[in-house]
Amino acid sequence: MDSERAARRAGWRLMYEAIRPQRSWVIGGVVAGFLWTGAKVAVPLLAAAAIDEGIVKGDTGVTVRFVLIMLAVGVVQAICTGLRRYSAFRIALRAETNLRQRLFAHLQRLHFAFHDEAQTGQLMARANTDIQQIETVVILLPLTAASTLTMAVVIGVLFYYSTGLALMVLALMPLLQIAAHRFSHKIQPVNLALQEELGDLSGVVEETISGIRVVKGFGAEKVQAKALDHEADSVLTRALDAAKLRANFLPLVDLIPTLALVAILWYGGHQVIDGKLQVGELVAFNSLVLMLIWPLRMLGMLLAQASRASGGGGRIHEILATDSAITDRPGAVSMPDGPGEIEFVGVGFGYGTGPRVIEGLDLTLRGGEAVALVGATGCGKTTVARLLPRFYDVTAGQILIDGVDIREITVSKLRRGIGIVFDDTFLFSDSIRENIAFAEPEAPIDEVRRAARLAGADGFIEALPDGYDTVIGEHGYSLSGGQRQRIAIARAILADPHVLILDDATSAVDPTKEHEIRSALKEVMGGRTTLIIAHRPATIALADRVVLMGEGRVLAVGTHQELLASSERYREVLAHAEADAPPSDGSPSDVGAAGVPGA
Amino acid sequence: MRGAWVEPGPADETLTRDEAKGVMRRLWGMLRPYRGQTILATLVLVGQTVCLLAGPFLLSIGIDKGIDPGARSRPDVAVLNTVAAIYLAAALLSWVLGRLVIQRVARIGETFLRDLRSRVFRHLLRLGLDFFEREQTGRLVSRMTADIDALQDLVSQGLVAFVQNGLIFVGAIIFMVILSWQLALCTLVIVPPVIFASRWFRRESNRAYLEVRDRIATNLATLQEGLAGVRVVQAFARERAWTRRFHETNEAQFDANLETVRISVRYFPFIEFIGVAGFAVIIGVGGLFVDRGWLQIGILAAFILYLNNLFEPIQQLSQLYDTVQKAGAALHKLFELLDTKSAITERTGAVDLPDHGAFEVDDISFAYLGDEYVLRDVSLSIAAGERLALVGPTGAGKSTLAKLLVRFYDPRGGTIRYGGVDLRDATLDSLRKRIVVVPQEGFLFAGTIRENIRIGRPDASDDDVAAAIEAVGLTDRFASLPEGLETEVRERGSRLSGGERQLVSLVRAALADPEVLVLDEATSNLDPGTEVAVERALEKLMQDRTVVVVAHRLSTAARCDRIAVVDDGHLAELGTHEDLLAQGGRYERLFSAWTSGVAMGRTA
Repeated sequence: MDSERAARRAGWRLMYEAIRPQRSWVIGGVVAGFLWTGAKVAVPLLAAAAIDEGIVKGDTGVTVRFVLIMLAVGVVQAICTGLRRYSAFRIALRAETNLRQRLFAHLQRLHFAFHDEAQTGQLMARANTDIQQIETVVILLPLTAASTLTMAVVIGVLFYYSTGLALMVLALMPLLQIAAHRFSHKIQPVNLALQEELGDLSGVVEETISGIRVVKGFGAEKVQAKALDHEADSVLTRALDAAKLRANFLPLVDLIPTLALVAILWYGGHQVIDGKLQVGELVAFNSLVLMLIWPLRMLGMLLAQASRASGGGGRIHEILATDSAITDRPGAVSMPDGPGEIEFVGVGFGYGTGPRVIEGLDLTLRGGEAVALVGATGCGKTTVARLLPRFYDVTAGQILIDGVDIREITVSKLRRGIGIVFDDTFLFSDSIRENIAFAEPEAPIDEVRRAARLAGADGFIEALPDGYDTVIGEHGYSLSGGQRQRIAIARAILADPHVLILDDATSAVDPTKEHEIRSALKEVMGGRTTLIIAHRPATIALADRVVLMGEGRVLAVGTHQELLASSERYREVLAHAEADAPPSDGSPSDVGAAGVPGA
Repeated sequence: MRGAWVEPGPADETLTRDEAKGVMRRLWGMLRPYRGQTILATLVLVGQTVCLLAGPFLLSIGIDKGIDPGARSRPDVAVLNTVAAIYLAAALLSWVLGRLVIQRVARIGETFLRDLRSRVFRHLLRLGLDFFEREQTGRLVSRMTADIDALQDLVSQGLVAFVQNGLIFVGAIIFMVILSWQLALCTLVIVPPVIFASRWFRRESNRAYLEVRDRIATNLATLQEGLAGVRVVQAFARERAWTRRFHETNEAQFDANLETVRISVRYFPFIEFIGVAGFAVIIGVGGLFVDRGWLQIGILAAFILYLNNLFEPIQQLSQLYDTVQKAGAALHKLFELLDTKSAITERTGAVDLPDHGAFEVDDISFAYLGDEYVLRDVSLSIAAGERLALVGPTGAGKSTLAKLLVRFYDPRGGTIRYGGVDLRDATLDSLRKRIVVVPQEGFLFAGTIRENIRIGRPDASDDDVAAAIEAVGLTDRFASLPEGLETEVRERGSRLSGGERQLVSLVRAALADPEVLVLDEATSNLDPGTEVAVERALEKLMQDRTVVVVAHRLSTAARCDRIAVVDDGHLAELGTHEDLLAQGGRYERLFSAWTSGVAMGRTA
């Protein structure tokens, strides 16, 4: 409870910070809002004066004068309404945009462990829905301020002219507020339920159409039609529930102000007859009462919105308050200019508060050497690959590059010096060229081609309709897993790193094509220290030495042949990997793949 | 949850006048069962509007006859009390009628939508597979969701308000004319500019909002990629570049949003000023009329209230116009769908297929589109109880031939007969009962395993299901699942492995217990654990049935009685495995390539 209050307070502070730089717009908006209020209330009062002083007394000159003043006030009102609207929206949009920018920049910097925990969808909701909630409340704030002032002034005027009438109106108007509050409270779950039913319904539609062959193949059309009818009936029930609530509420919104108008006619009429009120004032009252409806509803909206927004603000603050765990130490140095020797000294690591996945790991990669890490799933191979570019920091021991602890090197220099191809390939929805030139967007096309050739990707890229300019991804061309991996390899090659990490980088490449890139990879690896994580013997053979890992430690080191001969465990791991290999564009485990037509 | 932020709505399409007329006519036809209720609801709505508009009229009488009847007579308290009482009664009546209208209209509208959903869906199910292969799933789903939801929006929010605002606008003018046609004429001067401004505003803000929608989508796409690819971004130390990139799309969204504000900042001040001007006209011109003795002050009061009744409806109608237009466009699309004819229908006088029989494929040709024939002059007979494999390269036409055998499509030329009956002359029910196709991947529907099996024969009892499972030898396998047959398979069977899904699909076929089984063999590998189980179940399922296998693995083909090699739309070779090997043709070449491939794979 307390932490929620603190989070909400943080949310408010965040909103305040977002608005503060726009002080002049805020002041302008508030001033315009006050002027607008004055003008708006003045109009019916001027009309009352025109009636009572001009029309009733038969003085046309006075009437005309008041009418002209009304028009002048109307101009002021129009200008002010524009100003206050513009400033309110501008402030809110600016706050929204800046906040989202801040959040994005922060998220880009946050360490891997944070992103492992957070779901993209959740973060998207922070940057989208939560920020929009804040935007809405920021819009409403100045608008409501002016509206609330209007309300106060109107009530004051009512009291000034007739205490009795003012009390009657005041007694009725809160009912509107209460009804609106109760309505939004009740309609929310009903609408939610309706949305859910609609979701179920579209689920039935979606799966029936996706599975239309099964439906038709078995003649199951009637079953699906019945399932749909069932959902459509549920939707009908929910929709009627919602309609019932609306029927209870909407006519009430019309009724309550009308009751106030009836009261004005009856009670005000008696007062006029008794000489306590003038007839023009009675007329003006009608307009004034109608002015109360909006401010009351806005106030309700603001209260509901503010609660949502402060919650959203709290959630955003939580992210912004999280510091990146991986930062430059003071006095961090550049990447050492050595041969690229890497040492893991007594390295221990566990994800978050989980158990250690690496424990007492000692391993040396000589400069320019290619080492293959082999081990069963979950033995910590990938973790080793991710510790080296400091995606995570070791919990024990240290990692040295040419004798320098990697934590003493600036993060960006370290990472630019290490090229990694991840086991799960991620490409951006950009052109192939932009994807390959990710590290160096200005790289000339020749370099991009060279990287593609070394990764064995030039062939299929050039066969594409737009070649290197082919846009890939969700709204573009879709590539096979093997093709994507080869682009990811080209991306790492183009970065021209000192140290290269290939984490299962060719797992989806068709085995019949893998040999084509193997020789090219050999060329790439020349002069770079390379860490290869692989399952296929052919890929492992690229390495100068093989390290067998198990239980987070090094179990054996040697050449492929040596380990095959000496280690039972090594043979087991290889055999297992062969059986487990995931299906890919070449289905490595599909023994028939090479020869069967149409596969 | 539905409603992703970039989902394109059924917006930005508008109907031509003729199309709109057509839609209206057809809608009126479809509303036939509800016509009486619709007319009744409209009458109630008219009554409610009259009650609502009676207020200012009563106010003018109260003032002019009761409170301030002018110099010649004295105020009349009785008149005031009576008028106030009538006013109160009118307000309460309007409230009661208002509730009634909303409920009535909702009942009519929602029931209509329910029937529409059912009708469109049933129509969809009747359409041939050609239709589903032509149309994207997403678009078809949106017919049933986004389009009908657009109608739902209209029914739940727009319809009553739309009609009522129209009535209020017209009604207010009528009441004003009754009170004083001269003043009414002067006051109505403000109406045209408001209408023009509102139309301008609607057009401009629609345009601007479409732009906003695009920019939001782009910005969210950048955001999403920046998050999904954050590891790559960090690995290459490109954080700053990506933050800059986001800055661009983020600012673009800001600019587009601000443009909509600029538009509204031109519109709303104008409307407010016109409102004040109208007020001034009533007081100024009205005052002049009062001075001439043409009317009394009470009428001025009524006019001031009616002024609101002119403004509100114009603004609201302008906003609701979009909802109505979207609904119209949605209806138009739905009608188009309902007009699509099914290619595969049952002939009048269709007969049931015989229980047993042989397939006679006689000189058939087929093209999905135009003249691109995928099958030409294929003739072939399949004896009852025979197992036939169809092999050939991708796109050769073997899957198409299988689809014709189950009448997913009709051949362009030639005939396919089963037991002597042309498939086109058979009832669809008997056809689907005798001939069942088991697709490549076991497709599961949301629900339990039992429900999924029952798709094969909806009226099957639990015992029948158990018997079908036993028939393919999977009783133990399903019993070992924690919840047995009641296991929920979730969306698209994500909780079951590919092999397990395939098993459910086989049991489904066993429950249907057809004479002929058409199998589309899976191209991808199954998990090793279930591969064997699938093979065994399949073998049991195939027993004592005519089987046509679209084979991707030659090992499967080799086990069949006969093999048909389809190449480039023709039947290239036909015979037993041994015959074809001896023949030394295409099959022999495929087979030797395959066997050497197996050898290679083992040494790799």
